[in-house]
Amino acid sequence: MDSNQGGGGGSNNSSDFVRKLYKMLENPSDESVVRWGNDGDSFVVLENEKFTKHILPKHFKHSNFASFVRQLNKYDFHKVRHSNEENGQSPYGPGAWEFKHPDFKMNNKDALDNIRRKAPAPRKPNQSNTEEFAPSQQMDMVSGQLMATQAQLHQLEGRYNELSIHHSMLLQEVIGLQKTVVNHEHVMQQIMTFLHGVDATQRRNSKLIFPNGAQAQNGSVEAPVQTADDDNPASPLQHASKLLSETNADAMLNPRNLEHMNEITMRMNGTLTTPPPDFARASVRPTSRGPPSATSTGSVRLDNLDNLVYPVGSSNGIDPMYSEHINNIPYAAPPKAVEASEPKFLEGRKKSAFPDPGWIRPPQILLVEDDPTCRRIGSKFLYAFHCSIDSALDGLEAVNKMNNGSKYDLVLMDIIMPNLDGVSACHLIRQFDTTPIVAMTSNIRSDDISMYFQHGMSIICLFASSALICLGMNDVLPKPFTKEGLLHMLEKHLVHLKKPLAQTDGMPAPQPVPIARQLVLKEEDSPAKSPQATSNWNSPSQMPGVSPVGTTVPDEFAQAMRGQPVQHPSPYGVNPMQNNMGYSTSPHMQMQAPQPPQQTPGHPAHRRQVSEISGGDDLNNPAKRQQMYAPQMQQQMGPMQPRPR
Amino acid sequence: MSASDDKSGDIMSIPGAEDQIDPATFEQILEMDDDDAEREFSKSIVYDFFGQADTTFKKMDKELEKKEDKYLKELSELGHFLKGSSATLGLTKVKDSCEKIQHYGQLKDDSGTKDITEEQAQEKLGTIIKQAKTEFKEVKEILKEFYKDDDA
Repeated sequence: MDSNQGGGGGSNNSSDFVRKLYKMLENPSDESVVRWGNDGDSFVVLENEKFTKHILPKHFKHSNFASFVRQLNKYDFHKVRHSNEENGQSPYGPGAWEFKHPDFKMNNKDALDNIRRKAPAPRKPNQSNTEEFAPSQQMDMVSGQLMATQAQLHQLEGRYNELSIHHSMLLQEVIGLQKTVVNHEHVMQQIMTFLHGVDATQRRNSKLIFPNGAQAQNGSVEAPVQTADDDNPASPLQHASKLLSETNADAMLNPRNLEHMNEITMRMNGTLTTPPPDFARASVRPTSRGPPSATSTGSVRLDNLDNLVYPVGSSNGIDPMYSEHINNIPYAAPPKAVEASEPKFLEGRKKSAFPDPGWIRPPQILLVEDDPTCRRIGSKFLYAFHCSIDSALDGLEAVNKMNNGSKYDLVLMDIIMPNLDGVSACHLIRQFDTTPIVAMTSNIRSDDISMYFQHGMSIICLFASSALICLGMNDVLPKPFTKEGLLHMLEKHLVHLKKPLAQTDGMPAPQPVPIARQLVLKEEDSPAKSPQATSNWNSPSQMPGVSPVGTTVPDEFAQAMRGQPVQHPSPYGVNPMQNNMGYSTSPHMQMQAPQPPQQTPGHPAHRRQVSEISGGDDLNNPAKRQQMYAPQMQQQMGPMQPRPR
Repeated sequence: MSASDDKSGDIMSIPGAEDQIDPATFEQILEMDDDDAEREFSKSIVYDFFGQADTTFKKMDKELEKKEDKYLKELSELGHFLKGSSATLGLTKVKDSCEKIQHYGQLKDDSGTKDITEEQAQEKLGTIIKQAKTEFKEVKEILKEFYKDDDA
């Protein structure tokens, strides 16, 4: 009890015991029993017995004088002895006890704070000692441990990254393989569809069920297939296609899981690196939405497939070496016209200076290129376009740079590089980052298709550019790139960094700007300027596959289209390209939109577009029909045969 | 600007340049020069390319001589490498030859269409590398003249 009181006092500045003691002495009624000493620096218990009986209980709740004395000792009070003076007689009387403490004084209450309980001898001093040591010694130890833990964590993190990269690589490989399988299925189906079409037409012609006119209107292949189904279900063709669709459905099941897994990894990594949220959403939606529409029914798929076929081949005059030609792929103007327009184009380039693209801030570009010549020229061009440039010598460096948190607005990626090629690098980067990646390649050539094949791509992606897009690239910039091609890529993928149009117009150097715009308009969809593009720019081609075309066609179709680039690149091999390379289809459309009367008087532009896609008039136009199918067939059946060149 | 046009007129007027160089591609590099008289940027690019090409040709010779494992693949990659830079500079002839080197290394014919045997590839590679070197020397002379390099 005593010690409790005393110890408890430690929490205050002065101890309870000392304060009680002081208070006890302030009471004048007890002066005859206990009082301050004559000098005021001690106190005296005059009558031991009375003090013990009456005063102790009042103030200290006990009546044990010995205990009281012990307590005093603990607080370093000392009994004043008078043995040497006056014959051992105290001035206060023979039985008086006088106690003293240097800080216990009559009119100095503040000094009471200094009276502390003596520590139980060995313990307290030690404690205070360790407290002093604690900061240095323990901190050392703790920080050492922390360092070790951090190192461990770092190691684990590295290991995790490594594993996740391996994992994603494997995943990609498997997905690629599965895609190839699925693509083969699709090829087969496409062939079947075509054969069905031929078969049905032949049968109907022979039966003369419908007048020719009706047939021509029903040009889409789906209709013949269905009628054929009704007419002649036992046809060996039908049988084969049924078999095909069954196996195909089986094949489709697995990729879905993997895609899902892949998506999860992507999302996981994505959250770690916090990509632009709008893309995260965009990337998730199509994958989850795409599959059902793509697989739901055979007829839908076949229909889509058919719609997506468009003429491809050397006869179109599409020379991959020229970026201009890419724009001609889907519905090529006659090749001659293209060739003719080219010299003019070059002349224009000769005169044009480098226009200021009018960025709101300099875009951060990562140029990945192993060839020093290309790298320097590319950098110089980018510099001229007011970009700030970082460069990487190969895919590995690029992946590392991006993995270490460098943020770029656009990545320009060479394809064939030592250490890690551009395709693989793109794969890896796509696991954690959504920055638009534009492939730079001179290899939109048959000779390199074998390489893409190794990456799980089907050769039906005859245009390597579409193959690249299938592989996660956002776009393709043919090499050797031109200033205009480069600028176009920048403007296309960095629309969000462009100043508003009015401002751009107000820019100094008014002469170059109109030239550039003219070129761009001539060439492609001038992202910043056309009204369609501006309404579109929120998702500026970050998600390949959502092109203006998609918005004009029926929803289901659009959904399928969106799903495809991720799902099965190749039977649609040509399709993702048509789709992704918005500019390749859109010039027609966008050019049409503002001035529909010129092109198709009386018809809304998009109607025409759709009918073109669906090949609605192909029966009316045998030549076109042949063009639609013949090259495609050739590619599918002899895939290793590259385009003659 | 007009100075640049004059200059670009220059290079195409050098004999043989027309065969060797794609004016549009080369001119857009000339456009990057800050000073049309010095041509510091394009000159350094072009001269770096000379060095790069020399090194690459040496490597090609070595590969073709030793015929070690995967030498064809190596040659194809070397061809690709030089193709990229020569294409960027618009050195069309060198580019075309490099492309052929690339094809032959893959055991394909000129256009990369048909398969050829290793013996054929070796023979063709020997010829085409020689040809590429000659073309490179020619275009080097042209470029040196263009840059008024007296060491030529």
